[in-house]
Amino acid sequence: MFHTLKKTAEPSRRVPFGHSTKMAEVHVIGQIVGASGFPDHSLFCKWGIHSGGGWKILSGLREGQTQVDNPQSQDAAYFAHPIDIHFATKGIQGWPRMHFQVWHQDAFGRNELYGYGFVHLPTSPGQHDIDCPTWRPTGTFMESVSQFFLGGGPHLKNPDLIYSGADRYKLQTIAMGKIHLRIGIILRNFDKFGIEC
Amino acid sequence: MANPSVFLLMVSGQIESAEFPEFDDIYCKYCFSYGLDWAITSGLDESITQITKKSRDEYQRFVWNFPIDATFKSTSPSGWPQLVIYAYGLDAFGTDVVRGYGVCHIPITPGRHCLRLPMFVPESSSLLQKLTAWFLGRRPEYVNPRVVAQGEGREVTRVRTQGFLTVSFNIIMKDMKKLGYDILPSDVQNPTIPAGVAGTETAKAS
Repeated sequence: MFHTLKKTAEPSRRVPFGHSTKMAEVHVIGQIVGASGFPDHSLFCKWGIHSGGGWKILSGLREGQTQVDNPQSQDAAYFAHPIDIHFATKGIQGWPRMHFQVWHQDAFGRNELYGYGFVHLPTSPGQHDIDCPTWRPTGTFMESVSQFFLGGGPHLKNPDLIYSGADRYKLQTIAMGKIHLRIGIILRNFDKFGIEC
Repeated sequence: MANPSVFLLMVSGQIESAEFPEFDDIYCKYCFSYGLDWAITSGLDESITQITKKSRDEYQRFVWNFPIDATFKSTSPSGWPQLVIYAYGLDAFGTDVVRGYGVCHIPITPGRHCLRLPMFVPESSSLLQKLTAWFLGRRPEYVNPRVVAQGEGREVTRVRTQGFLTVSFNIIMKDMKKLGYDILPSDVQNPTIPAGVAGTETAKAS
């Protein structure tokens, strides 16, 4: 419905804040806390943010990779990876989403894919604890047999599939663990454009 | 009414307790890491707790009950302050050895928050270093503990989580809404449009 946020009064009347009020702003402040439920917990995670065309990152990192945690107790791996992104947006379409690849690192430093997942960033302001479920492609029966003995497994040729719904029907997948996020959302100027989040 | 250009974030809380199953005699240091827009207006930027032994019961908890008090001011939430805690322990020879680094953002919503932080230590990058670390009784540590509050350059570090630390916060904020920031869903449902703008809009509507 709202392709672009329309102003309801002249800009000159609307600058009591001493800031530009042209665009709505979103702050994403939080942490990739860790991951649990995987077959082994010597894990790290590659993450990225995908957003629609009207969104611009004013500050903060768009993608990154966490530390490798090899925890003492094998309940979960902890990354404590900080996230602090400042978006400006012209519309609410293409609300940003975070996508992840969880990798396992063995004692020899070899990496193996353990899961893909994505979450939409919450649209309501406040503190959110989010669990992102993950999955992994299994391929055919013979591929999973060879993976069991040799390691390595099918990967996505096109990583866009992690966060898009197109062409997923061709995939054969299996559930993996969860990624835990603690994310705070601060919105600015949405109410002035009549947007209720 | 003068319009504010900064908002304030008041943090009070405490480093409550920790679990480090393998160790004893632990103390903590803490510091804040924040962006360029931010400044600390009152309270301590860095501090250090007492040394505690773990409780002699089945919980084996380290209790510090150590106060945190600070007030920040900023013009933008970007670079929101993070609390960096690093725990040191005394080994059998009485030397200080790092037992864990932990980090969390100061909560962004007002009220009371209780967090359980994983405490991790960096690991030796090679077998030789592991061996010399074992011989000398000195394990790798970060030169600047504030790196755990940064997102860049972490892919090269291997760590081991070996404990947890409980920290509680009470958060109060001032002038967030006046600067247009919504931090709770109720803020969006009950917009408080500044007086000047509200006046012009009602004048137009009538």
